[in-house]
Amino acid sequence: MWKYEKKLQYPVNIKKRDLLMAKALLAQYGGPDSELAACLRYMNQRYTMPDDKGKALLSDIATEEIAHLEMIASMIYQLMQGATIEDLKKAGLGGHFAMHDSALFPNDPNGVPFTTAYIEASGDFIADIESDMAAEQRARATYEHLMDMTDDPAVLGPLSFLRQREVVHYQRFKELRDYYLKNKIQRMN
Amino acid sequence: MNQYPNSLDYYNYTNNNYNQPTFTEDVDAKKLYDPYQGFIRGNMFPNLYNGYKLNGPLNLEPKSEQEEMLIYLDALCFAAHDISLYLDIYPKDKDMIEAFANYNREANKVMEQYQKMYGPLVINSEANTVYPWAWDNKPWPWEKM
Repeated sequence: MWKYEKKLQYPVNIKKRDLLMAKALLAQYGGPDSELAACLRYMNQRYTMPDDKGKALLSDIATEEIAHLEMIASMIYQLMQGATIEDLKKAGLGGHFAMHDSALFPNDPNGVPFTTAYIEASGDFIADIESDMAAEQRARATYEHLMDMTDDPAVLGPLSFLRQREVVHYQRFKELRDYYLKNKIQRMN
Repeated sequence: MNQYPNSLDYYNYTNNNYNQPTFTEDVDAKKLYDPYQGFIRGNMFPNLYNGYKLNGPLNLEPKSEQEEMLIYLDALCFAAHDISLYLDIYPKDKDMIEAFANYNREANKVMEQYQKMYGPLVINSEANTVYPWAWDNKPWPWEKM
């Protein structure tokens, strides 16, 4: 089971409204390599990991991804605070307003709704872990694009933190994969 | 797409871990960042850290004592968490288990102190045993401090 902690993993305090940035950040909220996709990907793959190392690592990283989803949501929410309908229309968020007002909704910056077709769970643990490594790399690249789009330190701080987590997660998945290959671990379950 | 000034240069990274074919077990617990330095980097492990765009990690600037204490707590929780992911892979690393235990113990202590002063962060805290019900109170995590 899970318990809620009423705090973010890393603080988000954005004072300056930036609707274009809010829109771009939807990539990590409801896009193919979003924190939501990462969480669901690992959460579904953990049952067919071959040993306790894999079950532990996927459970723990999936849990951290929910915290990242909350950070991205907080950033989008704060970046949109106080925007008028005119502001939203100008930033290309008119469609978002029509359907969701200023509510959060997991779609990508172009309004394409999140789908579980973005995630993988093959039952083959090497295939799954390698897809996780690739997903972490793609998310890292997305965070770099997002960092290229802003100079606001209040936005760069959390983005830099989140990007670095992709680097660490990638490394842990790679270590798990290499450990399995080196020790010829088989799935017995 | 190398026309972007900040584009990643895979082969000239100072701490490039992407192209290392195998993992190493030579991580030394004594070489961890301290919790705050690790926290602002998003990485407790100097051998894994690589930055992007910024000249260095951004310092967090608390504007109140509450915010300062929360950052301290966040950093301790982060340190314990990042080490726990490492331990999932290397469960027999005694130094790292000790590092985890120390940060975790301190995090639990500060967690209770913070909640006593500023209200509950977790539902099973003693800070939730007061009248009136305290769990509903501000601040919510997504609201600015």
